[in-house]
Amino acid sequence: MPVYKLHYFNLRGRAELARLIMSQAGVEFEDVRFERTEWPALKATMPFGQVPVLEVDGQMLAQSNTISRYLARKHGLAGKDEWEQGLADMYADNIGDLMTGMRPAFLEKDAEKQKELYEKFMTETIATHVAIVEKQLEKNGTGHLVGKELTWADLAYYGFFSFLVEKFGEDFLKDASHLKSLIALVEELPNIKKWVESRPKTEI
Amino acid sequence: MPVYKLHYFKSPRRGRAELSRLILSQAGVEFEDIRFAHCEWPAIKPITPFGHVPILEVDGQVLAQSNTIARYLAKRHGLAGKDDWEQALADMYAENIHDLLNAVAVPFTEKNPVKQKEMYQKFMRDVIVPHVAAVEKQLKKNNTGFLVGNELTWADLAYYAYFSDFLEVKFGSAFLKNAPHLKALIDRVKELPNVKKWTEFRDSTYPEDNE
Repeated sequence: MPVYKLHYFNLRGRAELARLIMSQAGVEFEDVRFERTEWPALKATMPFGQVPVLEVDGQMLAQSNTISRYLARKHGLAGKDEWEQGLADMYADNIGDLMTGMRPAFLEKDAEKQKELYEKFMTETIATHVAIVEKQLEKNGTGHLVGKELTWADLAYYGFFSFLVEKFGEDFLKDASHLKSLIALVEELPNIKKWVESRPKTEI
Repeated sequence: MPVYKLHYFKSPRRGRAELSRLILSQAGVEFEDIRFAHCEWPAIKPITPFGHVPILEVDGQVLAQSNTIARYLAKRHGLAGKDDWEQALADMYAENIHDLLNAVAVPFTEKNPVKQKEMYQKFMRDVIVPHVAAVEKQLKKNNTGFLVGNELTWADLAYYAYFSDFLEVKFGSAFLKNAPHLKALIDRVKELPNVKKWTEFRDSTYPEDNE
């Protein structure tokens, strides 16, 4: 087994999916977390000045979805064939877009404006996406996003949507019973449950 | 060979479908290059999986997300990288370009020309200059002339599409003066016979793309 070291801030953010994948796969990893004050010094040591970065036996891999995809493929969570792997990639990219879409609201300093931006994000971007994904889940008919088994796509949706539920409540899922069931399914996986209970508690 | 149908807008300048077109062209694979006018989009949007394009139809099944499509095609046609690690490195470079495309979209869509000029200057200085320096370092370290391993991968095509086909055309090569390895890479890709054949074909067939 290679030695995995995941480098990120002390946040869930864009590193959590990789942590969920390794936890679900039962793979040990060094969960390196640093404070914002340490970042300026560390930035220059990262290949593209960004984190998360996965160190694998001393070699460095950047880009959150690249890291997650690499780990998913090495540990049986990527999808059964090229087409399923494509579909899983597609769903993971969707989550990447949603995270990017939420950033303006997250970074807004004015509390009133931030509230408005979050409201707009939830009622427009998220509501639209939830309706579409609900349809895809119904169509697939297996309880999973891709094929018949758990893939990193399910973990990606769990990671982001469970965060949204934490922040905004689950009302926005009231017409999305399949998505709700998927989130619950992942939440109950023994390895995920164990990780969530033991991980550092952070705001995002 | 499966039937590939790639769907995207007619313009702006090639955008997020071009990498897939380059991959298919380099691999010598036929595909239906469907381009629709912006006024047709409202009718097309609801039949896409997630309300955006590009989408790739493969024997009737649909895949969305530009880098997902590009990676799928790269894997099927020998341009993804030799093993899991190389494939991950290629992914990483492709995702860098995805971030750079997102970053340039902001000045690109600015309507006020004075503000736009400022935004582009800031973008080149704060985003492009550091990234070029970082990639130049990696290219020197890899020392094969390619971004990943010792053969062409879709990572090289992605960097060509963005740095040569877009930035160099728009701003000239000055920003590459301290990056001889990157400059050599994008020049090499530009001259690949299948890439050249494609760019000559599309430039004469789709002149509206050249904005």
